[in-house]
Amino acid sequence: MKPFGYVAAIDSEHAVALLAEYGKGAKVLAGGTDLLADLKFSPHPPPDVVVDISRAADLKGIALTDAGLRLGAMVTHSEIVHSPLIAEAAPALAEAAVVIGAVQTRNLGTIGGNLITCVPSMDSGPTLLALDARVTVLGPRGRREMPLSELFVGPRRTSLAFDEILIEIVVPTQNLHKPAAFQKFGLRKGQALALVNAAASFWAPDGVFTEPRIALGAVAPTVIRAPKAEAYLTGRPVSEEAMAEAGRIAATEAKPITDFRASAEYRRDLVAVLVKRALAGAFGRVTPNQKDLAS
Amino acid sequence: MIVTLTVNGELRSASVPPETTLLVMLREHLHLTGAKTGCDVGDCGACTVIVDGLAVNACLMLAAQADGRTVTTIEGLATREGLHPLQKVFEETGALQCGFCGPGVIMTSKALLDHTPEPTPQEIRTALTGNLCRCTGYVKMIEGVQEAAAMMRSPQSPALAGQSPALAAPEQK
Repeated sequence: MKPFGYVAAIDSEHAVALLAEYGKGAKVLAGGTDLLADLKFSPHPPPDVVVDISRAADLKGIALTDAGLRLGAMVTHSEIVHSPLIAEAAPALAEAAVVIGAVQTRNLGTIGGNLITCVPSMDSGPTLLALDARVTVLGPRGRREMPLSELFVGPRRTSLAFDEILIEIVVPTQNLHKPAAFQKFGLRKGQALALVNAAASFWAPDGVFTEPRIALGAVAPTVIRAPKAEAYLTGRPVSEEAMAEAGRIAATEAKPITDFRASAEYRRDLVAVLVKRALAGAFGRVTPNQKDLAS
Repeated sequence: MIVTLTVNGELRSASVPPETTLLVMLREHLHLTGAKTGCDVGDCGACTVIVDGLAVNACLMLAAQADGRTVTTIEGLATREGLHPLQKVFEETGALQCGFCGPGVIMTSKALLDHTPEPTPQEIRTALTGNLCRCTGYVKMIEGVQEAAAMMRSPQSPALAGQSPALAAPEQK
């Protein structure tokens, strides 16, 4: 690798101070699994300094707070896979985490890094969007909080300023235990990027689709919601036919590209299938007293 | 910068440039060449080592990230008494052919068995997703991990005593 400096942040405030000090010459290292692979083969000049935030104590941990399920930005994919709290309150997050890379990369890679790298095929994004996750960002002007969807700007582009870091992701309290599921289709079962991924969530009081959410990855410049498919489902009795139709509508909302992994048509067909499966998977998690569990 | 690791039970320090990966530090500064440089981007798993109990790609981690941590490499598995059960089974059953992927496969398997003493074949396959082998087709490796797991669960630790009942069992060829 081309030479660069290295400094480790002890906490988020320290990280922000370091970013202010080094300005645009700094690159943030979270898990490092994307960053190091990029730095090794990048044609661009290396950063002046890599700011390692992987040891920042306040960026770790999975916990229930007043706001909801809080994941520090430095929580690794493996921690999500093995978290009893997530298994209980938002198991679809673990479904998405367990198909990222392989064991070795899941042990290093972080949810914050996955979101900030912001590739359209990220596996962390759809489930979090389907659960209306919010994120908190820290910068020299203090903290700001926003819906996760506002973080995503384009391929490898987020709304973070150069001197800001993502510090936490929160699944709001009202969406804990909301039935949700994640689906991914890649060219192999492991160590593969998603050709398409999708997540869905909904409540089903009296067997009626309520607050449905559908999110799609790898079929647009960022992870997106499918609002027309959501609107179609809202208020409709839960049925396989409705799930299939929502998949077909979501396919019209996707804007996939053709590349060496798959054609746009193939990806669009996959959207219809994966959305249907994600809705069915979420329905499999519907329990009679689900709303009570969340309150 | 000075990076200090506990490698295979020994405290080791080296002065390395900041952009040095853990893999380069192990191989070129500490002369532990068991972990291999394969793809160098985290796809092949040939560089797998165990850091604080977890299998990681040493090529995707800066040495600085590992500073102060405990690292186990393939060189740390065998003891004065003999090979680790995984090494022993892999050797005796021909679970490796060219052997380039071997250190990574064995370290990933060790991390698996440390957390999951009785893995199912599917759990082994999932654990080995990040270790590419172009020779074997993986079948003997998966069987080998199961055999080693059986040896490690038996209280007499037959691996250290020489002959292994697990290897001699008729249902496990």
